[in-house]
Amino acid sequence: MRRLGYVLTAAWQGFWRNPVMSVAATLTVSLMLLLFAFFIVTDRGLQAAVGALESKVELVLYLDDAAKPSDILALKARIEKDPAVARVDYVTKQQALDRLRDLAQRKEDFTVADLGTNPLPASLEIKLANAQDTARLAASLKDELGRGVVTDVIDNPTVVEKLLTITRVLSVGGIAVLAMMLFVALFVIVNTIRIAVHARRDEIEIMQLVGATDWFVSWPFILEGMLVGTFGAIVALAILALASQPVTSAMVGFLDILPVSLGANFVLQLALGVLGFALIVGGGGASFSVRSQLAKGARA
Amino acid sequence: MIRLEDVSKRYPNGTAALQDVDLAIDQGDFAFLVGASGAGKSTLIRLLIREDLPTTGRVVVDDKDVAQLRHSQIPQLRRLVGVVFQDFKLLPTKTVTENIAFALLVTGHGGQIVREETERVLALVGLTHRSTHFPRELSGGEQQRVAIARALVNRPRVLIADEPTGNLDPVTSWEIIKLLTRVQELGTTLVMATHNAEIVNALRRRVIHLDHGAVVRDEREGLYAA
Ligand SMILES: Nc1ncnc2c1ncn2[C@@H]1O[C@H](COP(=O)(O)OP(=O)(O)O)[C@@H](O)[C@H]1O
Ligand SMILES: [Mg+2]
Repeated sequence: MRRLGYVLTAAWQGFWRNPVMSVAATLTVSLMLLLFAFFIVTDRGLQAAVGALESKVELVLYLDDAAKPSDILALKARIEKDPAVARVDYVTKQQALDRLRDLAQRKEDFTVADLGTNPLPASLEIKLANAQDTARLAASLKDELGRGVVTDVIDNPTVVEKLLTITRVLSVGGIAVLAMMLFVALFVIVNTIRIAVHARRDEIEIMQLVGATDWFVSWPFILEGMLVGTFGAIVALAILALASQPVTSAMVGFLDILPVSLGANFVLQLALGVLGFALIVGGGGASFSVRSQLAKGARA
Repeated sequence: MIRLEDVSKRYPNGTAALQDVDLAIDQGDFAFLVGASGAGKSTLIRLLIREDLPTTGRVVVDDKDVAQLRHSQIPQLRRLVGVVFQDFKLLPTKTVTENIAFALLVTGHGGQIVREETERVLALVGLTHRSTHFPRELSGGEQQRVAIARALVNRPRVLIADEPTGNLDPVTSWEIIKLLTRVQELGTTLVMATHNAEIVNALRRRVIHLDHGAVVRDEREGLYAA
């Protein structure tokens, strides 16, 4: 306990001994963590969207809120006559929202954003007897656009395919950028701690000469690195919290038909993930630095 | 307590600082290590706390070959052997009390013990009234006593003082010697490197004489010069 007290005090003093350096390191770590969080959030959001779209339904017609029920039923009957079509289901606005809520309940990653009004359109969902006919039927149904009933024709397999492509590109690109940021953050932390170790080399020498263990010599620095990580995580999470509202609306807008936002459970996981990652990067970088510095030191 | 067997030390630059040194110092003994500047006194001390390793031969402290110690056992050796360094090695940004308490804190002590033990050694070296001063505000003799207090605070079985009267006037030198003698009388093994002939001759204790790294004389109740 008292060992911890000494080490914590030393780490805290160490952090503030060179505030410019420490703050610069903290901000670098924050930036890296923000990127880290951004990629996780985007990836999960896209996966949720894919999950919502990946049903057996191959074609969806979004219907104008103002369309007359008789026109809708007439359209439905007409489509059912096409030999390529196996089945057509009418889904009301309320059913669409219920379905999304149900999905959100099963997938803990996201919840339905509270939007006041129901933004989901009613739709006709078309299942085809033969999936190869999707493109032809979609093309012919595009003619219905602008006639007051159909607002959009969604070719689900294509949309899912596109989303999956975006997810893949984001993962690969994200990992590359993240790796670069990780490298920069580690570089900055290693150097911050190296400067701290160098500034206190007399103290370290005396510590070793009066019989301090390596544990005592190195932990203040490792904790100082973790402190940089923790502050970095706090800054990053604060920015995320401030940005979450606009980002959610942007996501809802971007995905248009999917008013999903991230669930509380996911937010907690994300916060812990960011903090854990920060501690590993901060403590790991500092540990590497202090070890290499001590190895250079006087002890035979 | 301390045994050197055929110890030689050659620095990487080729300087032969110690040559075939054999000696043994028992628990509770008082030994002067005398010899001109450059004779190898500080080098011998560095070997005792494994600040450096002998080139050949064995250095045994408390029945353990220090070269065989695992890295993690070195701190124990250094708590067993307290050293008053020639250059004091006090931290300029810490007060007298903090400098002494530092040795306890970094060896895992805390709270009440740190306060009590620090006060104990401060009283022992007669510096209680200087406890909140910084090293630069102290005289050479006072700094020397802080260094002694720090070496003693972990209650080592061996105290080694490297030229503790090196830069002090005769009166202050005698105060330091009296202090160290008292510590030895309380049961601590004392090894004092010095080239202060007056003190060596007055005390008539064991004298180990180094010359160019070799032991040229080892007498029970010796004088500074043969
Ligand atoms: N780190 C070192 N590297 C090379 N030579 C050294 C080193 N330390 C001491 N010496 C040399 O070793 C010899 C013994 O030095 P030292 O043990 O300091 O003697 P003393 O303490 O008796 O004055 C001297 O010639 C000195 O120059
Ligand atoms: Mg010397």
